[in-house]
Amino acid sequence: MARTGTQWRTRPNLPLTHYVDPRVYTDRSIFEEEREKILEKTWAIVCHESEAPNAYDFRRCQHMSGKELLVVRGKDMKIRVFYNQCPHRGNVLAYEPSGNARRITCIFHLWSFDTKGNCVEITREKEGFQDRLSRKDVGLREVRSETDMGGFVWVNVDDDCGPLDAFLGDSTEFLRGELTAAPLEIMCYHKAIVPTNYKLWHDTNRDLYHEFLHRQNRLIAMGQPGYLDRRYHLHVHGHVTADPSVNSYENIEKGSGVERRMGWPGGESALHKLCNLFPTVTYNMRPPALRIDTMVPLGPEETIVEFRGLGVKGDSPEERRERLRDYNSFWGPFGRNLPEDFIAIVGQSIGLNHGRGSPYILHGREEETPHSEVCIRHYFAEWSRMMGRTAADPFGELPAVAAE
Amino acid sequence: MSRNATEWRRRPTLAPTHYVDPRIYTDRALFEEEREKIFKKVWSVVCHESEAPNAGDYRRCRHMSGKELLVVRGVDMKIRAFYNHCSHRGNLLAMEPSGNARRITCMFHQWSYDTRGNCVAITRQKEGYQDRVSRKDMGLREVRTEVGLGGFVWVNVDDGCGPLEEFVGDSLDYLKEELSAKPLEIISYHKAVVNSNYKLWYDTNSELYHDFLHHHNRKIALIQPGYWDRRVHVHDHGHVSVDSMECRYDAYEGNDGRQRRLGWPGGEVACHKLIDLFPTMTFILRAPAFRLDTMVPLAPDKVAIEFRGFAVKGDSAEDRAARVRDHNSIWGPFGRNLPEDEIAIVGQMMAMKGGDDSAYVLHGREEPSIQNEIGMRHYYGEWSKWMERGASDPFGNRAIAAAE
Amino acid sequence: MTTTGTATREPRGEPTGSGFESLAEREKAVRELVARTCLTMDAYDFAGYLDLCHPDFRYTITTYSPELRKDITWLDHDFAGMETLLEVLPLHASDHFLRLVMSRHLGVYTVAYSENDTRAAVVSGLQVFNTARDGGVTELLAVAKYHDVVALEGGEAKLLVREVRLDTRMLGETGSLIPF
Repeated sequence: MARTGTQWRTRPNLPLTHYVDPRVYTDRSIFEEEREKILEKTWAIVCHESEAPNAYDFRRCQHMSGKELLVVRGKDMKIRVFYNQCPHRGNVLAYEPSGNARRITCIFHLWSFDTKGNCVEITREKEGFQDRLSRKDVGLREVRSETDMGGFVWVNVDDDCGPLDAFLGDSTEFLRGELTAAPLEIMCYHKAIVPTNYKLWHDTNRDLYHEFLHRQNRLIAMGQPGYLDRRYHLHVHGHVTADPSVNSYENIEKGSGVERRMGWPGGESALHKLCNLFPTVTYNMRPPALRIDTMVPLGPEETIVEFRGLGVKGDSPEERRERLRDYNSFWGPFGRNLPEDFIAIVGQSIGLNHGRGSPYILHGREEETPHSEVCIRHYFAEWSRMMGRTAADPFGELPAVAAE
Repeated sequence: MSRNATEWRRRPTLAPTHYVDPRIYTDRALFEEEREKIFKKVWSVVCHESEAPNAGDYRRCRHMSGKELLVVRGVDMKIRAFYNHCSHRGNLLAMEPSGNARRITCMFHQWSYDTRGNCVAITRQKEGYQDRVSRKDMGLREVRTEVGLGGFVWVNVDDGCGPLEEFVGDSLDYLKEELSAKPLEIISYHKAVVNSNYKLWYDTNSELYHDFLHHHNRKIALIQPGYWDRRVHVHDHGHVSVDSMECRYDAYEGNDGRQRRLGWPGGEVACHKLIDLFPTMTFILRAPAFRLDTMVPLAPDKVAIEFRGFAVKGDSAEDRAARVRDHNSIWGPFGRNLPEDEIAIVGQMMAMKGGDDSAYVLHGREEPSIQNEIGMRHYYGEWSKWMERGASDPFGNRAIAAAE
Repeated sequence: MTTTGTATREPRGEPTGSGFESLAEREKAVRELVARTCLTMDAYDFAGYLDLCHPDFRYTITTYSPELRKDITWLDHDFAGMETLLEVLPLHASDHFLRLVMSRHLGVYTVAYSENDTRAAVVSGLQVFNTARDGGVTELLAVAKYHDVVALEGGEAKLLVREVRLDTRMLGETGSLIPF
């Protein structure tokens, strides 16, 4: 039956873990709190080390907390990450997305820094500051960074955070073969600014129930034997992996009905592996290419999604072309998969209507198949833990309702 | 040395007057408070009298408080300023930026006003209002207006404010000759909406340490004899003036290699004089042209800057062409100076706004030269008075920390 | 110089007074010249741009200001002025050397030849776009018209006069060091 206004907004008859309040996707104060309690506290990928391959290369990145970062490879070939901000008057140091510089010099008053973040020159230092300010006190702000899990540069802006290892736990085991057999190399990059909440993108990346949306997936994956036998595996900190699916490319229509022969070092050629890392990172290993999604949430209803396609360092030109072709056919800006996902999450954002008059969002499927929504429930369990709020009742309204 | 989070957020060892909290540039509540306590209380220039040269001319302007104004030259040739706001249903009276009208008629229901702000026609008055509304009660809101030195139209939306003369004090004495020898005439107007805080533009206008940013200034100013001998002078109410210097056009490529002989009436041939007026204005005479900056702050991270260029009324055609050319070579929208300053303040905001985790911003240079940062310190001294908050500790955290 | 306005002669297969093989060749040279001024500037190839200009080149950027109710000139250079401007631009800090790439999109509207065949008056529509180096989002920076005079001498076309007549008067956040 169609529902009245009251019925529409009535809590589902499911456990609190099995649905969320729509305002977790739309509320400004919750978003600000997520920034403080989650985005500024956990590890996230900001780029791949092959984006700064040579000594003195730099890459300007944005951290999921919103902070401007500068990833720099030093003379010692070590990658360090700093705030992309001059300590003098707060200007950004690098305006360009990438470059190479022995010294990073602010354009404004020409203060200079070396690749370890030391301030090496204050313009007319003695004349203006006499002995009141010392170069050693005005170094760049260095943030915790580690290069791991396939050569990705991970950053945590909380100096007191635990090590990356502890954060990832055993969620990486699943891809260890593929990520360690040979070094990776970035082959394409694009980003999109999407008018939706970042968690909706992550939900979609986790949830395989929505494969019904994708013609491509229906053709190559869903009809395959064993498709429904796969299970989700839950890991620490809200991370989730899914058993690999076997993709059968001969089912794709016209022109691409050839079986892919090219695999990925350390992995099986037709196995599609998915690893979703709380709160904003997704690894999508679908030989012959790897896709990494990262996000910078800009507001409750605005998100930058960055897509990176990776091949294997040392690929022959033919191999690289094939990896790239496959990657782009699905996942490039002209691919057949991403735009479909985007319509869904943008549609959700429109439907949620800033949280006003929207029903609770269901994450309630339980089944021993990849269509179980345990993957999303696991995410929101971690979210609730870090936020100190229940996703199904973020404003603590439930006891009041019960008391009435 | 690069710094960790604690070191990055530590107060500089400088005196509290010598740095500011970055939140004065980014915080929304402080911005709203500035509007109430400063923009609605002090004098600022909204246009030049030559923008409404004839009886009945009007010019639509925006006051720094955000209010729409209508500057009108009456049949008595006197300049008056009103809210650009019909007394009937609140519609904007003038939609065009400028025009000429003996009567200002609202397009909506054709109520009319004369150039003194009297309501002179209420459409079908008797039929609709009988004797319940009188034209004499329906006049426009006139705001305190004075045409000051040089013909600039100053407005204060606070009826209880002191006179302009008291606000300006002796800060304009330095340009008195040049601004009174002959009337000025506007030659260029353009505006830019910049994603930055208005004070960052003012800072940049009032400190000359950033001359290092400008190729142009490095060439024609920094290496000139006398550059370092100039001093910054402070005046009441936060205003600042900077000693003149000889402007060497012949030292810069692209200026036909000739020193300018045209000069400016009442001033020396190659004078370059700068006056910054709290809170949003800058006067620059760089013979043979004069520039005025005014600002309408729109949000903590957004400001409309209006640029006006002036020549001398009665110029010969050749003189006028020379003034226009020199003005535009550095200060027009295709000039070589403004775009450089603007990228710096945009860069500051890019780095400051994401994540709310900037180091304190330094205004600490002390030197007996032009690169002393006393101009900015003087500004923030005045700002602190109006705001009743220290710029280096706007939220009183230091007192709390001391008490703990 | 007089131009024939709409009385443009049909291209014919015979030599022209300005030294071109045919009217079609002349027309092609004019259109290519105007297009190449955009291609060279888009490529920041300032020397290549100057090669397309006549020694008596005059370049202006103008607009009408409804605020002031009069015309404003924002750039005015002869060949030497343009040459020195383009020489020093790379020494400056500019968004267009850092964050943005400029791209000019052009449509030639009308070409009118002078009676003595040595001048062509060309009116074109121009849009200038900024594309962010990071991420690659494109935004419209300005719309304008080129009012050009092309000199046709010895079988060669050179840009003699360019007036960039702007519609847009707010030029992004930072104005533009680089002429259109």
